[in-house]
Amino acid sequence: MANTLEILRYRQLLTSLTWRDLRVRYKQSILGIGWAILLPLSMMLIFTFVFTRAIDARSVMKIDMPYALYAYLGLVPWTFFSVSLGNCVNALVANRNLLTKVYFPREVFPLACIASSLVDFMIAMTVLVGLMAYFHVSGEWTFVAHSSLWFVPVIVAVQIMLTLGLGMMLAMANLFYRDVRQIYGVAIHLGMFVSAVVVPVPTDGSLLARVIALNPLVWIIGAYRDCVIHGHLPSAGSFLYATALAMVMLVGGWICFHRASYRFAECV
Amino acid sequence: MSAITVSKVAKQFRLGETHDSLGDLLAGLTRRLRNRIVGRTADEPARSGPSKFWAVRDLDFTVAKGEAVGIIGPNGAGKSTVLKLLAGIIRPDRGTVSVNGRLAALIEVGAGFHGDLTGRENIFLNGAILGMSRAEIRSKLDAIVEFAGIGRFLDMPVKRYSSGMYARLGFSIAAHVDPDVLLVDEVLSVGDAVFRLRCLDRMRQLVDSGTTLVFVTHDLDQMQAICSRAIVLEHGSATFSGDAGDAVGQYLSAMSREYAHGAPDLMEDQDREGGDVRVVGLSFFDESGEEVVWTRSRRAIRAELQIRLSRSIPRLVVELNMRASLTDNLLSINSGRDGRTFDVTSGDHMVTLSLPSLPVCGGQYVWNVRVWDSDSGRAEVDTPFRYPLVIDDEGCKTGKLSLPHEWSLTTQASVKSAAVSGVGGSIRAAAQLTISS
Repeated sequence: MANTLEILRYRQLLTSLTWRDLRVRYKQSILGIGWAILLPLSMMLIFTFVFTRAIDARSVMKIDMPYALYAYLGLVPWTFFSVSLGNCVNALVANRNLLTKVYFPREVFPLACIASSLVDFMIAMTVLVGLMAYFHVSGEWTFVAHSSLWFVPVIVAVQIMLTLGLGMMLAMANLFYRDVRQIYGVAIHLGMFVSAVVVPVPTDGSLLARVIALNPLVWIIGAYRDCVIHGHLPSAGSFLYATALAMVMLVGGWICFHRASYRFAECV
Repeated sequence: MSAITVSKVAKQFRLGETHDSLGDLLAGLTRRLRNRIVGRTADEPARSGPSKFWAVRDLDFTVAKGEAVGIIGPNGAGKSTVLKLLAGIIRPDRGTVSVNGRLAALIEVGAGFHGDLTGRENIFLNGAILGMSRAEIRSKLDAIVEFAGIGRFLDMPVKRYSSGMYARLGFSIAAHVDPDVLLVDEVLSVGDAVFRLRCLDRMRQLVDSGTTLVFVTHDLDQMQAICSRAIVLEHGSATFSGDAGDAVGQYLSAMSREYAHGAPDLMEDQDREGGDVRVVGLSFFDESGEEVVWTRSRRAIRAELQIRLSRSIPRLVVELNMRASLTDNLLSINSGRDGRTFDVTSGDHMVTLSLPSLPVCGGQYVWNVRVWDSDSGRAEVDTPFRYPLVIDDEGCKTGKLSLPHEWSLTTQASVKSAAVSGVGGSIRAAAQLTISS
């Protein structure tokens, strides 16, 4: 408990490291922070092209909103998840210099990775307003300001808990076994297609569908669409499952990370 | 209350790598599982054996509030490990370390600098890493910049800084943390002489204002300039703790013992890049004709240089240089300057240099050998400074020269009587220093 409070004393450091990550990511680039918008936007355009022009899969996918909106609402949270997790995996190894030379709670590293991606996430989310306005004006789809929007911060919080828990575990694992980074690189590609990011996951009750339903990201990403587009809260059972799992991940990850953190400087 | 208490601390490190791939992990897990099921067999050692070593053993010391303590010792004695234990970067395997108050550790200058960020940005980042708040950094920004002397480069990315500027900025930030306890590890070897002096001044200033300092260094002069007390570390344990001057003496004699064992290896390592001349060895002999690697100050010493020539050189010039630091020769003796050249044929030869006395202070000195062919002007050999000679001198630990000297006191009679009669005036005592060489 005392150690959890310790991190509060170092919140200034968290701000500084977050800011460093952001600053370094967009330094010496012409578009700078604009990339936070351009990356998911271009991904959205690519997937829209692939699934609606190159091969018309709209009928197969049964998506009840413009595909571009569907993809963007999947890609933005997914980018938030995958980028922060990817940075977490490397966080300890990349900061070897700090790890072996300065003391502060090591939790700051994964926290900073997530915090800087959160900034990107929020910037990218603002574009959604423009996107919705476009489809509203073009008459393809009608915008309704749903009251369920208030729930979005809750979803973000659950996603952060899940990412942080996983991130701490992966950061730690990668410090001891560098294989983790490679495995992560492969797994994250698979993850994109079993998390309802750009294509819906199967819901036909098959074994595959039941296994995929265990993935909490399916429910988290689905929850964004429910609240923003469909105008209702996500189904309680599945969202509570995702929340519980995220909490378990966070608590378990944090405890493991904290316990191992005293060995980091020796093993990195 | 003491600022630092270290009690019965031991720290073990693994030699070689810990399991670094998943294959090793799986092997480790199955072994653990098997052990759990069948129990550890008696003949199986507890999976450590020779692959671990104690970097620090049975270490006990305390540092009082406001005290400045130096930690000295040969390479690999565990100095940096102790500092990391104090800083909380690593944890002891046994014993406890407790530090009271806000701690700042300067283990590497500019650790955590990011090359792409400007000096100003790095000040804020590094300040936060060292535990300063943003407001605090802002209020000290000018002082930090001024001390580092980076003025107009403040808004330039630090990747374009010179290494001196980089180090100055790093030290400057740490020096302005105003910690209760400051740990400094061998960082003052960077930067130019002026900056090193300013760093020392700043550290002294901090100590004067009540900061507790633990200073790890190889520079005994620097250490003595700041610390009143020092701890000598050898092979992970403290072999001495007390007055800084005594500690230096202790350290030097420890060094001479070390050299006495380790020196032959150093000397056998040969310089193969020379021309037609090869240095086989440089050995030192004391008055009794015994080969030595350490001796006392102001004793006669003979240096024997063994060289092997692959051709005849009628006018060979030999130079021997001695240093105590990285840069300056303390002694340079050149046969050519003495009007002496050697007519040598191919084969093995020995050049002997006799010195009636080597009047230098206690310390480690290293020698190098240079050989020229005086006719062609070509340097045949220029070895690195790798031939050690340790001088032990209890009476002279700082300074460079140890000369025979006498003290005397002369009191002027008239002044004395005036003083005694209470009329006034001043007592003037003249001390005479007689130096005979």
